[in-house]
Amino acid sequence: MQMTVDLNRVGAKGAIAEAAEGKWGMSIDRDLCTGCQACVAACAMENNISFVGEEDAGYGRTQHWIRIERFWEGAYPNVKIAGGYQPMMCQQCGHAPCEPVCPVFATPHSDAEQLNLQVYNRCIGTRYCANNCPYQARSFNWRDYHTMPERGNMVNGKLVFPLHNQFNPDVTVRRRGVMEKCTFCIQRIHKAQDKAKSEGREVMDGEFAPACAQACPADAITFGRIDHKDSLVSQRSNEGRGVKHLEDLNTLPRVTYLKEG
Amino acid sequence: MAVLSKYLPGAKKAREDHFEKDDPRQYLMHDPIPRGQMNEMVMESMHATSWKFWMVFGILSVLVAVCFFYAWGYMIAEGLWVAGVMRPAYWGIFLVNTVFWIGISHAGTFISAILRVFKAEFRRPFTRAAELMTTFGLIQAGASIFMHLGRVWLSYWMFPLPNQRELWPNFHSPLMWDLLAITTYVLGSTMYLYLPLIPDLAMARDRSTGWRKTFYRILALGFRGTEGEWRHLHTAMNFFAFAIIPVMFSVHTIVSWDFAMAMRPGWSSSVFGPYFVLGALHSGMGAVAIVLFIMRYTMKHMDYFIRKEHFDALGKLMMMVSFTYAYFIFNDYIIQWYGGNLATDNLLHWLEEGPMSWMFYQMILFNIVIPFAVLWIPKVRQTPWLLAVVGLLINIGMYWERYIIIPVMLTINNMPFTWKLYEPRIEIYLTIGTFALFLLFYMAASRLIPLIPVWEVQEGQMAHTMRKIGKANVSTISDFE
Amino acid sequence: MADITLLALFEDIDPAADAIEKLRHMGVTDDRINVLSGAPIPYKMLGRPHPHTNVSKLSLGGAIAGALFGLFLNFGTPNMYYVPVGGQYITPIPPGLIVLFEMTMLFALLATFLGVFLDSYFPNYRPMEYTPEISDGKIGIFFKCAENEQTKIADALGVLGAETIKPVEAQQL
Repeated sequence: MQMTVDLNRVGAKGAIAEAAEGKWGMSIDRDLCTGCQACVAACAMENNISFVGEEDAGYGRTQHWIRIERFWEGAYPNVKIAGGYQPMMCQQCGHAPCEPVCPVFATPHSDAEQLNLQVYNRCIGTRYCANNCPYQARSFNWRDYHTMPERGNMVNGKLVFPLHNQFNPDVTVRRRGVMEKCTFCIQRIHKAQDKAKSEGREVMDGEFAPACAQACPADAITFGRIDHKDSLVSQRSNEGRGVKHLEDLNTLPRVTYLKEG
Repeated sequence: MAVLSKYLPGAKKAREDHFEKDDPRQYLMHDPIPRGQMNEMVMESMHATSWKFWMVFGILSVLVAVCFFYAWGYMIAEGLWVAGVMRPAYWGIFLVNTVFWIGISHAGTFISAILRVFKAEFRRPFTRAAELMTTFGLIQAGASIFMHLGRVWLSYWMFPLPNQRELWPNFHSPLMWDLLAITTYVLGSTMYLYLPLIPDLAMARDRSTGWRKTFYRILALGFRGTEGEWRHLHTAMNFFAFAIIPVMFSVHTIVSWDFAMAMRPGWSSSVFGPYFVLGALHSGMGAVAIVLFIMRYTMKHMDYFIRKEHFDALGKLMMMVSFTYAYFIFNDYIIQWYGGNLATDNLLHWLEEGPMSWMFYQMILFNIVIPFAVLWIPKVRQTPWLLAVVGLLINIGMYWERYIIIPVMLTINNMPFTWKLYEPRIEIYLTIGTFALFLLFYMAASRLIPLIPVWEVQEGQMAHTMRKIGKANVSTISDFE
Repeated sequence: MADITLLALFEDIDPAADAIEKLRHMGVTDDRINVLSGAPIPYKMLGRPHPHTNVSKLSLGGAIAGALFGLFLNFGTPNMYYVPVGGQYITPIPPGLIVLFEMTMLFALLATFLGVFLDSYFPNYRPMEYTPEISDGKIGIFFKCAENEQTKIADALGVLGAETIKPVEAQQL
């Protein structure tokens, strides 16, 4: 007799999230990625990410929501690329380790988009979520880089920050002391959903893309609904090269990496 | 009362050094002096301050003002970038300090609760000194947690307070458990410090004048020593002694769960709970040895109360704890080593030969090898300064242990691209600040409240007699409970 | 005839116990005797009735209240504002046990502490019958007797080894 277990009934962690409707996901083709960092720049522009400066970035305080991890062999200058480039961002886990550890519910799970949310104005900065993230995808606002006096110009006795003009009005600017991370450009998801709703239809596959996917010159990043079998991202993820990072931790990531073929 | 050794003439200037080897009077319990004289000694030790005391007090005050309040204020005003925390070491020395101070605080409960439950008589003169360490250590631990927060001014969001939106804190979070456990422990240990203090405050009230009289009168709550008062106090203390032991175990276990619940190499370990509890006792015992040494040599009349036998007993406890600690640390590391998980393997190599390996080896040396090697020797246990040195080494070793577990282990994770070593910055000042604040509290308390629980010592002395069995005089303890 | 309060001070437990028995024989009942001591002396040693205490009952009450509060925190509060996290249940049981334990202990300890205050009428800064010699380890027997019996009782206690026997007034401690 075959044993069947209803995972929802026995409460296997994450089973509920895995069966949920409305999952957005991403596939990243590492064969196509050239490590050009366009996604990193686009993400920073789209999401008002702080420029932390050379010194802090060197110390490990970059705030990029997506980073290109480079793997190489040997010591400089005799280095050889080994393993290539790997864009890494929040994997929007279905069973996210970062979520339950927050004492104030600043990292809840969204039922509608099946995303891992970060509520900036609830965050008190315990940084437990970042420690518990196996992907090291979270970044902390160590200081108010946006309003550092040396970044501004004195105009008529008032500090003016020219860089503030490029802020995306759809995304908030985070103050220091709070955690932040990739949102899958949730503002774009909502914009597309609102547009589709006003036109009385569903969001079409490929109708929009997050900033990183839009900027990728090699089209290595595909974004869409992974609970729809015929979406491009599902097709790419299921074509046989797909792997998920640290799958053994049962985090149920929503990002599939297509390994070098 | 038919107690043979109630009062032995010539015990006035009793110093155990002057006694023959098997003279029972070398033990405090067999060297009774009238209660009135004991009260005088304790009162005098509270009043006696030399210029040295005020000089140390002044230096510590300056240190607290600069390294604690100013540095913390500066950090709140500037943001956490003045500290050394970064990716991947999101947690740094602040949590090292938290764990360290909670560890120190465990000694008080261990000595006064567990030894009270098991009726270990040598505990009597220094239960209060140890309990004070609990309370003051927990203050430092609490302060360190708040220092660590990114937005400390919103920390009340962690408290389960009713609010209009009915959004309560997240009880899934180990930090929330921590908050509840530490709150329970702070309140519990402070009450447990205060209850046996009431009769001593009443004693101090009866023999002081001026502002001290008012101070003690308010704190003594009108205690007179009626049968009913003693009975209520006794029942409550008995309950506290039993109830605070599981609370103490839960506190450090939950602190360890902050780490063990996380999916990180080196942290995710089921032995972390008992390992941390034992580690806490290890550093706590060491700290008690240091405190007793300082008390004995800097406070008046303390050589009557704190004797060789106490250091000897404490040394035995330290030795036992260090065995158990060795067992747990071995248990933790061998399982990590045997498992062969790649990230864990990297971590162990990092500890073994990375830039922080000196810390790892010092930890083994100070926590296990040295106590293991020297505490067998009675001469070492009975020489106060030697035991204090061993205690100091244990505390350094335990500090390194926490440092290795938090920032050093955080360096290595599943994403090799992010590996980076943590460097403390303003944390160093704040660490000095917490140590100075602890010492300042302790120094102030040593002149404000009787550090020796006089009534407990008297109770013990009343209970101890010498009984002749065959040809030998044997120490006998009557049950006064 | 008005009653007065007398104080008899003893150095040791044995004469004090004898004195209490003597007082009882002379018609001073146990509820008119109050024994004060600087260190706790078991009631059996003095032959006194067992003093009643509510502290343990209060501890139990506190523990129950704390358990209920813990249950409320873990199983009540998450239902007020639905926030799903990490694929876990809204009200998981294992963390609930921790909350339950901590709150039970906290409330039990608080109730015990409060119990001492309630049972001993702390804090109490009114004038009371007391003498500072008690905290010097003396055993003080305070008893009420008729004024005309004063000398008779004083003599009897003096024989038993009382150090001083004197009438006492309530004084500010």
